[in-house]
Amino acid sequence: MTLLEVAGVSKSFPGVRALDDVSFTLRPGEVHALVGENGAGKSTLIKVLTGVYRPDSGELRHHGRPVSFAAPMDAQRAGISTIYQEVNLIPLMSVAQNLFLGREPRNRLGLIDRGRMEREARGILADYGVTTDVRRQLGTLPLGAQQMVALARAVMIDAQVVIMDEPTSSLEPREVQTLFGVIRRLHARGIGIVYVSHRMDELYEICDSVTILRDGRLVHTGRLADLERIELVSMMLGREMSQTRRQGFTAFAGDHTTDDAAPPVLRVTGLTSRTRLHDISFDVRPGEVVGLGGLLGAGRSETIKAIGGAYPLDAGTVEVDGTHLERPSTVRAVAAGIAVQPEDRKAEGIVAGLSVRDNIALAVLPRMSRLGIVSDAKIDAVVARYMTRLRIKASGPDQLVGDLSGGNQQKVLLARLLATRPKVLLLDEPTRGIDVGAKAEVQSLIDELAGEGLGVVLVSSDAEELVEGSDRVVVLRDGAVVGHLTGDRVTTEDLMAGIAAAAPSEDHT
Amino acid sequence: MTKNAVAERPAAGLAAVRSRLPGYGVYLAVGLLMLYNIVFTPYFLTLSNLRIQLIQVAPIVIVALGMALVIGTEGIDLSVGSVMALAAALIPLYLGYGVVAAIGVSLAAGVAVGLINGVLVARVGLQPIVATLAVFVGGRGLAVVVSDGQLKDIRNPDVLHLGSGDLLGIPVLVWIAAVLVALVAFVLRRTVFGRRLLAVGGNRRAAELAGLPVGRVLITVYVICAVLASIAGLLSVARIQSSDASAVGLLIELSAITAVVVGGTPLTGGRVRILGTVAGAVLMQLVIATMIKHDLGPSTAEMAQAVIILVAVWVARERKSR
Amino acid sequence: MSVRSNRWRRPAVAVLGAAMVLGAAGACAKSEESPTSGATGPAPAASQVVQSAAAGAATCTIDQYGGTKVDLKTAKVGFSQSEKEANPFRIAETRSIEDEAARLGITNLTTANANSQFNKQISDVEQMIDSGVQLLVIAPLNSDGWDSVFAKASAKKVPIITIDRKINATACKDYLTFIGSDFAEQGKRAADEMAKALGNKGEVAILLGAPGNNVTTLRTSGFKDQIAKVAPDIKVTFEQTGNFSREEGQKVTEQLLQSNPNINGIYGENDEMALGAVTALKGAGKKAGDIKIVSIDGTKGAVEGIVNGWISAVIESNPRFGPLAFDTATRFFAGEAVGQDIIIADRAYDTTNARADVGSAY
Repeated sequence: MTLLEVAGVSKSFPGVRALDDVSFTLRPGEVHALVGENGAGKSTLIKVLTGVYRPDSGELRHHGRPVSFAAPMDAQRAGISTIYQEVNLIPLMSVAQNLFLGREPRNRLGLIDRGRMEREARGILADYGVTTDVRRQLGTLPLGAQQMVALARAVMIDAQVVIMDEPTSSLEPREVQTLFGVIRRLHARGIGIVYVSHRMDELYEICDSVTILRDGRLVHTGRLADLERIELVSMMLGREMSQTRRQGFTAFAGDHTTDDAAPPVLRVTGLTSRTRLHDISFDVRPGEVVGLGGLLGAGRSETIKAIGGAYPLDAGTVEVDGTHLERPSTVRAVAAGIAVQPEDRKAEGIVAGLSVRDNIALAVLPRMSRLGIVSDAKIDAVVARYMTRLRIKASGPDQLVGDLSGGNQQKVLLARLLATRPKVLLLDEPTRGIDVGAKAEVQSLIDELAGEGLGVVLVSSDAEELVEGSDRVVVLRDGAVVGHLTGDRVTTEDLMAGIAAAAPSEDHT
Repeated sequence: MTKNAVAERPAAGLAAVRSRLPGYGVYLAVGLLMLYNIVFTPYFLTLSNLRIQLIQVAPIVIVALGMALVIGTEGIDLSVGSVMALAAALIPLYLGYGVVAAIGVSLAAGVAVGLINGVLVARVGLQPIVATLAVFVGGRGLAVVVSDGQLKDIRNPDVLHLGSGDLLGIPVLVWIAAVLVALVAFVLRRTVFGRRLLAVGGNRRAAELAGLPVGRVLITVYVICAVLASIAGLLSVARIQSSDASAVGLLIELSAITAVVVGGTPLTGGRVRILGTVAGAVLMQLVIATMIKHDLGPSTAEMAQAVIILVAVWVARERKSR
Repeated sequence: MSVRSNRWRRPAVAVLGAAMVLGAAGACAKSEESPTSGATGPAPAASQVVQSAAAGAATCTIDQYGGTKVDLKTAKVGFSQSEKEANPFRIAETRSIEDEAARLGITNLTTANANSQFNKQISDVEQMIDSGVQLLVIAPLNSDGWDSVFAKASAKKVPIITIDRKINATACKDYLTFIGSDFAEQGKRAADEMAKALGNKGEVAILLGAPGNNVTTLRTSGFKDQIAKVAPDIKVTFEQTGNFSREEGQKVTEQLLQSNPNINGIYGENDEMALGAVTALKGAGKKAGDIKIVSIDGTKGAVEGIVNGWISAVIESNPRFGPLAFDTATRFFAGEAVGQDIIIADRAYDTTNARADVGSAY
C-alpha cells in the first residue's frame, strides 16, 4: 500500500521545465530521502505534494486514490504536514498556545482550560526533548527547540505524511539526535516522512529509501542502504564514478606550506563584546587557513564580523600586516585588506537585484573610476577575470545574481571579495546550501588562495570540511577560546573531542 | 529561484508581455493616451499644446527625479513639497541682493533640509517616512513664517525668464528639466555614487559589509532630492510670477511618488527607472490635460489617476510574485 | 556602541548649524524693490456697510438671547480664525478685528487660528469659553459640527457672532447673528459685469473654486442663473476647478486657451485664479483685453489688474468685519435689536473706479 504517490508529474515555469515526468512513492512508516543539487526540482516536487503548485500533467494519489489539492489547506486536511527551515509559528505566543493553536482544550464553561493545555503540552514536548517552561514565549526559545514545537504541532494534527525541508540546517548536533529520535518514533507509528537534506551522514543514519532528482528528472529511486555514498553523489552530480571517487568528499588538497617564522598577516587580540565575545585572540600567517570550531552560538560568526568591523566591540584590537586598525568600521576594514564573506548569503552577501557585474565590482568602484565616473572597460576586465577564474556559470555578466543558483551566487560573492585584493579572507560557512559541484570548487579555491599567500579564517559547521580545510583550528565555546588543534591533531575526532570536552552544561536557554 | 536558462531563453507570448509590463507599460499607456487625444481632442497635435504640457510637467519631473533616487535606496521623501515652499519663500526675500544670491539661498535651504533628512535616516536610523515627516510638517510652516504668510509678486525679469522665457524656441523651464533628467541618468548609470546607491537600496546590509560608505551615500541621496525640490520650487515661483509659500508644491510628494511608481521603479529599492519616471509624470499630466480639455469634472480625473496607480501597483506585484 | 554614536554627532551638529545660519540669515533679508507706489503703507480701509435693512427681517435682542449686559471696553473677547493668514482675505479679516478692537479700546482680546483644522477650532473656542470670554467672534471653518460649542456657550450665555461663513444652526438661540456676504449675489453681479464686458455675446469659461465648498456652489449658480437671464447669447462652455489657487488657475487656463480658442471671457471665482489666468494669457501671447476677465474678492493684485487692463471687473467680498461685528455687539449689549442675518454690501471695481480705489483694496 502506498501513502502518497505522484506518477509522471511535469511542471513548467516560463523558460524552465522544473519537473519532467517525475514519479515518487511514499509508503507508511518510511523515511524517504529526497536529494538533488540546487535546482534539481526538489522544492517544486514538495510544492506539488503540498498543494502549493498544481502539476501541468501527471497524477497525485493519496492512499491509492487520485486527488487534486486546490490549496495548501486541502493537503493539510489530508494529513500532509510540512516543516520548513524557518518556523511558521507565532513568536509572541507561549509554547503551549502555539502547540494547541485552534484546538485548545476547553473546560465545562467552554473556556480554554489553561492548566490542562499546559500539562498536556509539557507531556507532548518531553517526547521531543523540549523541557522548557511551556508558558514561555515561543520566540525566546532557541531555534532548534522552536522547530521541535513546530514538528510536535504538525504531528498532532493527525499527520500521516511529514515533509521536512532541511530540518537540521539550524540545529546543533545534540538537537539533531533528538530530532532523529522523534523521526524513529514517527516511523514506528507508520507515518511517512519525506526528508530533504544536503548532509550525507544524516541521510544514511535516518533514511530507508532515496529518490534522486537531477535537472527536473528522476534519476534513481530505491533503498538507500543498497547505494554506496559515492554512487549517490555521482548520481546527483551526473559525473563518472571514478572521477568522484578520486576527488573524495572534500576537495581540499591538504596542509599548506606556511613559513612559521613569518609575521602574522592578521593578529586579533582580546576581542570582547558584552556577553557574546570574551577576550578572543589568535593569529593568522600568510598562506595559512585557520579554522574556527565550535557549536552554534559559540561566537564564530560574531568573531568574524567583529574583525570585519561589523560587530560592536567593547575592547580588543585587530592588526593587519602589523598595522593597527583604528576605530573599526566596515569601510576601514575593507580598506585595510579584510574581506568578510557573511554566513547569510541572501541577507548580507549578494545584492540579488543587481547584475553579476555590479555585484563583483561593488566594493572596488573607486579603483575602477576617475573623478567619480566609472570605467566600464576596467570593470569588464576585472569581472571577466573572476568569472573565468571562479567558473561562475551565468548567461553573462548582465544576468541578475538573484537568478543564479546558490553555488554561483556564492562564487559571485567570493569574486567581489577577491576583487578588493584582500590580505585576509574571513569565510563564514562558505559552502552552506550550495550544490556538491560548487562546494568542491569553493573548497579548492580556498586552497588555491592560501597557496597564493592569503590568510584565511574558515568557519564551517561541516566538521569534515573544517578539519580538511584548515591548517589549525581554534575551538570556541560561549564566546571564548577553549582550545587549539594543530598538526596531527587537526582531525574530526580531535575536533569533536575538543568541542565535547568544552561542551557546556545542559543549560541551553 | 529559477535556473540560468530563464535569462538565456527569450520568453515567449503572454508571459513575455507580462514580465515587461512593469518596465514598459507606462510608455504603452502614454502612447495610447496620445493616440486617443490625437483622434478626439481638437488642437491636440499642435506645438503650442506640446509646449504647455511640457511646461506644466517640468516641475513634477524635477521633483520626481529626486524621489526616484530616494526610492531607489528603499526610502521615501515626504518633505519635497515643503522644500519647494521654503525655496519659494526665500526667493523674494533675497532678490534685493540679485538673482544669483536669491537662487543660492534657496538651494542652500534645500541642502540644509537634505542634510537633516539624510542624517536622520543614515545616522540616527529613523525610518525615511518618519524622518522626512518632520520637515513635511514643519517645513511649510517655517516657509509661511519666513514669507510673513503673504503671497509676494515677483517682477525680476531674470527670474521671470526662467519661468516663461525661451531658448532656441524651447521654454527655459523645459531645458532645465531635460538637462536635469540627463544629469541624474548619467549620475545613476556612470558614477560610483549611482552604482553604490543601487547597491544600498538593493541590500543595505550587504553594501555595508562590502565596505561601502552607506551613510554617506544615503545622506547624499537626500541632499540631491531636496536640492532638486528647491530647484522645482524656484521654477514654480518663476512660472506663476509670485511666491505663495502656503500653496507652492502642495501635495507634490504624492504626484512625484506616483510618477516614480507608475514609471516602474519598485518601492523596494535597488532599481531606478529615470526615463520611466519621466514617462510616469507625463502620463499623469496627460490624464489631467485630457480631463480638462474634455471639460470633465476633477473627480473624474482623480478616479482615472487612481485606476492608473492601482494598475501600476498590480502589474508590479505580478512581477514580484514570480 | 560609543564608537557608533560619535559618528553621527558631528554631521548632526553641522546640520543644526546650517539650519541656524539659514534662520539667522532671515534677519538680513532684502526684498526686491516694489515698483507700485500704492502697494506700500496701510491704505485707508473701506469698512463694511450693511446691504439692506429689510423691513420685517428677523432680529434679536439681549432679552431674547439671554445673558447680561457688559461693557465691551472691559469685556473679555475671543476671536477664532479658521484658516492660516496666508491669503489676503484672511489677513485683512484678522487685522480688521484686531484693529477695530484696538480702536475701541478693547484690551482683552484673545485670538486663535485653527490652521484649517476643524478639531483645533472647536478646542480653541471651547478654551476661550472656559477662560470666561463674554463675546465670541468666529470665522467658522465648517458649517456643521458646532453643537458642543453651542451647548457650552449657551450655558454661560456667551453671545456668538459668526462672520464670513454661516453655521447651520438657529440664530438668536445657538448663536447671535451672522455677518457676511451673499455669495450668490456676488456671482450675479459678476455675471452682470461679464455681460457688460462682452456686449452680451460670447463664450465664457469658469474657473471654479474648491469643489464641495458652498462659496464655490453659490458663486457658480449665481453667475450661471444671471447670465442665462440677462445675456442668453453668452454660453458657458467650460468649467474646471482651479481650487482657489493661482498656480492651478494658471495651469487650467493654459490648457483651456489651447483647446478652446474661441473663449472670450473667463470668470474666476476668486482673484487668485484670475491672476493665474492673467499670467497664462501673457504666456500665450495674448494682449490685455483680448479675453475679458471678471473675478470676485477685491484683492489689491486684482484691482491693479483692472488698472493694467487685464481684468475687466472685480466684485468685492469685503473681509473687514471688525467695525460691523463690534458695532453689532455694542448695540446688542445696549439692549437694541440686531439683525439675525446681516448681509454686507460688497463693492465692485471696474475701469471707472479701479485707479482711484486701488488704495483701499486689501
